[in-house]
Amino acid sequence: MDDAADLESFRRTLREFALSHCPPEIRAVVAANRKLGRKEWSAWQRILHARGWGAPSWPKAHGGTGWDLRHRHAFDEVMAECDCPPQYHHGLRHIGPVLIEFGTPEQQAHFLPGILNGEDWWCQGYSEPGAGSDLASLKTRAERDGEEYVVTGQKLWTSHAHESDWMYTLVRTSSAGKRQEGITMLLIPLRSPGITVRPVPTIDGWHHVNEVFLDGVRVPAANRIGEEGKGWTYGKFLLDRERLGGANVAPAFRFLDRARALVAAELQGPQNRLKREMLAMRLLQIEAELRGARELGLAAIDDVMNGRPLGIAPSVLKLSTSEAMQRTSQVALDAVGHRLATRFRPVDASGPNAEVGEIEWLQNYLYLRAKTIFGGSSEVQKNVIARQLFGT
Amino acid sequence: MAYAPKPLLPGDAFEAALRFGLALEQDLAHRQDPPDRAACLARHWRDLLELGWAGTLLPEAAGGAGGAIADLVALADGAGRSAMPLPVAAACGVVPMLLRAVPDAAMQAAVATGRMRPCPVLEPGAVTARMEGEGWLLEGSLLGLELVPEPTHYLLACPIAAAEPGLFLLPADAPGLAVTRHLRIDGRLSADLALHSPARLLARGAAVREAVAAARDLGAFLTCVEAVSAMGALIEQTIAYLSARVQFGTALASFQALRHRVAEMHVAAENTRGLVAQLLRAAGTAPALPWREVSFAKLRLGEAGRFVAEAAIQMHGGMGVTEALPASRLARRIMLAEFEYGDRNWHAARLLEAA
Ligand SMILES: Cc1cc2nc3c(=O)[nH]c(=O)nc-3n(C[C@H](O)[C@H](O)[C@H](O)COP(=O)(O)OP(=O)(O)OC[C@H]3O[C@@H](n4cnc5c(N)ncnc54)[C@H](O)[C@@H]3O)c2cc1C
Repeated sequence: MDDAADLESFRRTLREFALSHCPPEIRAVVAANRKLGRKEWSAWQRILHARGWGAPSWPKAHGGTGWDLRHRHAFDEVMAECDCPPQYHHGLRHIGPVLIEFGTPEQQAHFLPGILNGEDWWCQGYSEPGAGSDLASLKTRAERDGEEYVVTGQKLWTSHAHESDWMYTLVRTSSAGKRQEGITMLLIPLRSPGITVRPVPTIDGWHHVNEVFLDGVRVPAANRIGEEGKGWTYGKFLLDRERLGGANVAPAFRFLDRARALVAAELQGPQNRLKREMLAMRLLQIEAELRGARELGLAAIDDVMNGRPLGIAPSVLKLSTSEAMQRTSQVALDAVGHRLATRFRPVDASGPNAEVGEIEWLQNYLYLRAKTIFGGSSEVQKNVIARQLFGT
Repeated sequence: MAYAPKPLLPGDAFEAALRFGLALEQDLAHRQDPPDRAACLARHWRDLLELGWAGTLLPEAAGGAGGAIADLVALADGAGRSAMPLPVAAACGVVPMLLRAVPDAAMQAAVATGRMRPCPVLEPGAVTARMEGEGWLLEGSLLGLELVPEPTHYLLACPIAAAEPGLFLLPADAPGLAVTRHLRIDGRLSADLALHSPARLLARGAAVREAVAAARDLGAFLTCVEAVSAMGALIEQTIAYLSARVQFGTALASFQALRHRVAEMHVAAENTRGLVAQLLRAAGTAPALPWREVSFAKLRLGEAGRFVAEAAIQMHGGMGVTEALPASRLARRIMLAEFEYGDRNWHAARLLEAA
């Protein structure tokens, strides 16, 4: 069988499984653009794991599928097309690969199975109040005390910390030398004494980010990844592994499809023609950009598979897709915002219309503001691109 | 010296409204619970009515201040600086315009003193009116109406025949009226109405048509005033944030990309302010606001306002998406202003139809 035919039959297998095994109530959450939580994600992870597809990006030796990039991409795409949740990334795509590359055999045996079967939930404690784009300025201190580290400081914007068991985190073990050299990566159980997790209320009205206070938290030295002072390297490895995440444009296409259906349903009849056509035009322009991004994503995958350097393609992809999704949500806002933005939070908990249908469109518009802030802000991505283009 | 936004009409009215808004902001700061916030809004609204804001445009003979639109603009401008979540345009501008169709001095006096607190409804949504016996019955539902706190009545424009508008007065405790309240993204109160209620027809025909058109244009104009004021405050706060926030060993304010973005925000805000200033001049000379200029202002606000609001959030980084940050509240006020008194598509359609 040639490559293309092989991929096509692979996609068919994936689609059949997704449609028959992903519970309708979970797919409904995705289709309504609602924010996913541990409940939906872990249920789906269990199902995938049972099928042997728990970790599409891990090698077989560690319980992964061993698929190449093209098959992984097909997997992500088909799952998105079927309204299955994207797999929760903090364990599978972030800390998992770091453990596989730099973890001790004991750490691998201890942590990888819980990630695979969805029993352990992870979050990322990198950012701090004073360390955002400039992550290397982080201040949370870890001091060695026998076989333990004592960690004190504050993390901020820690997504899903309130529903996590573990936090992989970067802490400062030394203030001497280059800032990047005094950073260490620790795995901290969130149930440890001295940890306080507080929600940070966001404009979208969902609870997803938190602040995490660490006050003399004792962490076994056995929970350190690799060497002390090398945390920056592992953190960078993690980010590099993730750089192709932007190649999966399928969720952005699905989001666009849903916005298109919304516009058609909301703006029927001749009296709405002008507005309907103006919004349809904007959606077409977004589709054009996404089509371009999809091609770039495939080319980037091809580069990696053939050992060519990726260069700035990931930054290019992230800028395109994050902004295209924001623009899609703007169109949706223009279609239905007048009846959603005016009804954001119920004051009277009961009565007709206390529950506002489709409010997710408004929440997504507000939530997606953050898409050009996290994961390397648009400004930081542009700096990366410009530095490469100018050669300085 | 760093930027500070200028009032459209400096003076006591602007300053008083500014202080009023800041006091409310402080009072709201530690109230998260929506019912608690709603009660807080109602308390401050009573104070505001006591100060006579609702009577600004009403004649002196009826206990009003006999003021001009400019007097109301000064208040809206002051209130806009803190995105004050109270319905100044609706209650102090739109209601008096609607009452022009109703030659009833006693009613005007009741409104001027705050004894009567009508919530205006210019778009009846899915509400229809029909005769039943001697009187009128209003039926249907209405979503996301900007709500005057503790309204005594709804003052509702609704067609009574194919091309004939009517203006109805519906008591807030009318039988068959169900109200569900929400907070909007800008923190103001709104209501969904479901009704099957008798109502009094106050006026009909051309007088109502003119009053509704004038009311909508004034509402749109005051919304632009508030939004331009909020944009000024937002730019000021963004500059302060970028100047104080240090990353990579230097203030964010030193990065040219961010400086340029703030410059673009300012250009957009000043441009919209130009349209508002033109309308303010017209308001002082002509009997009615020029509708074309109103539509251009609102059209511009739709685009410029969203640009300014989104840029400010982006430049605040993660802080920008937090609920409590004053700058993010200003941004949400500006986003919502787009949907009041006709969004940009509505105004574009009006301009295109007339062309
Ligand atoms: C919803 C959400 C979820 C998040 N989840 C997590 C998480 O799970 N774990 C975690 O560790 N972190 C998380 N983050 C934090 C995220 O990584 C940071 O917000 C991001 O790094 C930006 O940092 P900052 O917010 O401090 O903004 P700042 O770094 O202060 O930036 C403010 C503004 O300045 C711009 N800027 C900064 N530097 C430059 C420059 N050199 N040139 C031009 N412009 C510049 C930025 O682009 C931005 O517009 C999350 C953030 C959000 C909003």
